[in-house]
Amino acid sequence: MSQSSATPVERSVANLVMPLVLGGTIVALAHSARVQSSTLLTQSFLGAAGVLGAWSLLLIVVPTLRQASGRIETTLRAQHYIQAFCQFSVYAYWGWYWRPVYDMGVLIAAQILFAYGFSMLLSWSRGRLYTLGFGPIPIIGSINLFLWFRDDWFYLQFLMIAVGFLGKEFIRWQRDGRSAHIFNPSAFALGLFSLVLIAAGSTDLTWGQEIASTLTLAPRIYLFLFLVGLVVMYFFEITLVAGSAAAVLFLLSAASFQITGVPYFIDSEIPAAVFLGLHLLITDPSTSPRTPVGKTIFGAFYGLGVFGLYALLGAMGAPTFYDKLLCVPLLNLSVRAIDHFVRSRKWTEAWTAATDIAARPVWISPRLNLMRMAVWILFFGVMSMTGRTDGQHTGDAVPFWEQACADGRGNACERLIQLEASYCGDNSAWACNELGLHYRSGTITEVDAELGRSYLARACELRYQPACMNLLEPSRSVRTEPRPLDLRLMLREGGLNLMQMEIPALLDRACAHEWSFACQRIASRS
Amino acid sequence: MCARVVVRLSEDREPLVTEGWSGRSPGDPADAATRSTGVVIAAVALVALSWLALALAPDSDAEGRMRDAAVAGPRVPLPSALARFRPGTAWLPDDPMLGFEEIPGGPFVMGSDPARDSLSFDVEWWGNGRVQGQPDLPTFYMARYEVTVAQYGAFVNASGHLVLDARAVQAPPDHPVTWIAWTDAIAYADWLDGELRARADAGDLDSAIAGLLRGGWRVTHPTEAQWEKAARGNDGRIYPWGDTPDPGFANYRARSTTAVGSFDCPSCAHGLSDMSGNVWEWTISPYQPYPFTDADDAETMRSEALWVMRGGSFGDPERMIRAANRGGADPGARRPFIGLRVALVPG
Repeated sequence: MSQSSATPVERSVANLVMPLVLGGTIVALAHSARVQSSTLLTQSFLGAAGVLGAWSLLLIVVPTLRQASGRIETTLRAQHYIQAFCQFSVYAYWGWYWRPVYDMGVLIAAQILFAYGFSMLLSWSRGRLYTLGFGPIPIIGSINLFLWFRDDWFYLQFLMIAVGFLGKEFIRWQRDGRSAHIFNPSAFALGLFSLVLIAAGSTDLTWGQEIASTLTLAPRIYLFLFLVGLVVMYFFEITLVAGSAAAVLFLLSAASFQITGVPYFIDSEIPAAVFLGLHLLITDPSTSPRTPVGKTIFGAFYGLGVFGLYALLGAMGAPTFYDKLLCVPLLNLSVRAIDHFVRSRKWTEAWTAATDIAARPVWISPRLNLMRMAVWILFFGVMSMTGRTDGQHTGDAVPFWEQACADGRGNACERLIQLEASYCGDNSAWACNELGLHYRSGTITEVDAELGRSYLARACELRYQPACMNLLEPSRSVRTEPRPLDLRLMLREGGLNLMQMEIPALLDRACAHEWSFACQRIASRS
Repeated sequence: MCARVVVRLSEDREPLVTEGWSGRSPGDPADAATRSTGVVIAAVALVALSWLALALAPDSDAEGRMRDAAVAGPRVPLPSALARFRPGTAWLPDDPMLGFEEIPGGPFVMGSDPARDSLSFDVEWWGNGRVQGQPDLPTFYMARYEVTVAQYGAFVNASGHLVLDARAVQAPPDHPVTWIAWTDAIAYADWLDGELRARADAGDLDSAIAGLLRGGWRVTHPTEAQWEKAARGNDGRIYPWGDTPDPGFANYRARSTTAVGSFDCPSCAHGLSDMSGNVWEWTISPYQPYPFTDADDAETMRSEALWVMRGGSFGDPERMIRAANRGGADPGARRPFIGLRVALVPG
């Protein structure tokens, strides 16, 4: 479904001032308190504005460039503004529970301005008219749903946007007889920068880990993403892509659990950030297959890619949250091959007339899309009712991983360390103490005395007395049950705020999460 | 004419097209190809630059910083010489025992008798119907001075220990180090113990202290009983020099720290300096009600215990700098009036 409205081409040298205005607005935003909080962030803003300004002046000053510049056509495409609306509804909901998202508001605004200016100047420099619409907004929205550079490295965020637009402009192929960009611009930039960050060992320059892990702070985030996804599915018929990706991931996770006895992903059958990705990152109609079977294959490949990359990145010691980003450019590259394969019909000879429908472009079958959406709703409903999404998940329970590690199952000890590190990062002193002892003793991980000491010191400074005793006497390992505060931090899966929860309810919850001491206390209480 | 470079992936596929920079005007295809190559080179250079920038970036996480710091070389500027201190031995005092003064074993009076000391707090009363106790401690050694900025700087430079508050190492090198938490204090003592042990093994220390270390003695911080005994001797005096306050013997009711050992106090117990005033000193005793015993330290395990600090600081009045006064602080507290002192105790 392609919905757009266009106005006649306007040509005006006055339009050349527009990028300067955009740059000036970025300069104005650089004076906001949020940007002024970091010198390097401010410089990044000024640098981005400077690039737009210098480029604009070049177009104005050089006569040959000036002659070809300034043409603007206004086209409002539904796929842009509906996707942008969906993305910003995710920001609004997520940010309500994790405030750094709202703090990013001015930074996202600057990126949008930069994206408009950059794409405009790029078009004019190539002698083409600029299509003014909502196009840059979903690109920025998509990038920022997955990766932000920290303030001191924010100039790389602008660079990432530039790379995305350059990729869209220059890396193209002929598809269905028309020149089309190969890569989803946001996914291309995200994939490329993720690769570079991993290769350079500098993944901590971004908020990627925090972004991936804080989505679940918003209650019922899966349900929210599902509902947002339905809007996109209705308008753009991406049901088969998202649905097949989700189905493959759910099925592979379940199979893995059956085989290894431990959950594949830690926090759910399918991480929330991946669930977000399969709705809003891989569903760009321009860079995904156009036939139903092609879309199904594309989605399934995404599921397989994420599943494989999660294991691969984990084995490499790299952050696993890049799993959802790295495979998208490769999938984009496979689109034409998938279309070619589906349309070759070599494999469909034995199929019935239904196959014929499957090979048709999807825009002729809106009712089929509704049917597919109905199947997807049913599938998601079953998954939710069986606790595969927002509900309690085995992978959240530390006691489960402790037992699995003791039993020598799969990579349970690595997962236990990972989970405790996550809780320690949330200021659970109990988890920090456990980590410190693991690193000091080397029983379930390699000995790292300094790291062990730093975790124990952190736990001690969080007023957890056993950790102080462990620091004082390295020969002993003092452990206790988690304190109520630790339980409040470690049992909040699904983003629940447990800070005000009464102790009996907290113990009930702990018991449900396999904390045996909590079950014993409940039993003794009754 | 639109200039473009056509790359055939295979015979049966549609060509991959990379459009040139100058799509706007007719031109020679070869020229367009050259421009397109330029764009590719520029893009590669862009990515390479990003890569370089990222590769040169310091780790921003605490663990990464800690690991980097360990190999980053000296970070705290230290003087080439400092009167009374030995640069080559972790800036400890320049004497055979490296500033450790012997505190002979035996009983001493601990806690306060309100009849004799009207400024005492009730937390100093012994309990069990008594106002004072008489713990019997074995011989140990107490550092003559509080740990200085130079000593702590040597530790930071050698170990890469993270300085979470830069003000810790910004005071003059012979002033007591401050802005350090209880956990930093423990890390310092552990490091100094290893450092002196290595020097003892290498034959770099005087035989007396080397013999103690080889015999299992270790560098740590005092318990509050050890601290109090070292401060007031065996005769139960209220201040290290006697029963009446004297601004000539200690840095209190002042605005800042002074260099350690600035106050000449020949009458102070065991020849120790600054046991009253200058900075509070961390001990390894959790804050618990008297009577004192270190056998029940584990009983605080389920509570969020404070750690005892002793001695009062430069900003305190007479009441706070009494030898029996007990302060308590969070193990993570970093303050301008809290420092540390080390002891050498039997293993």
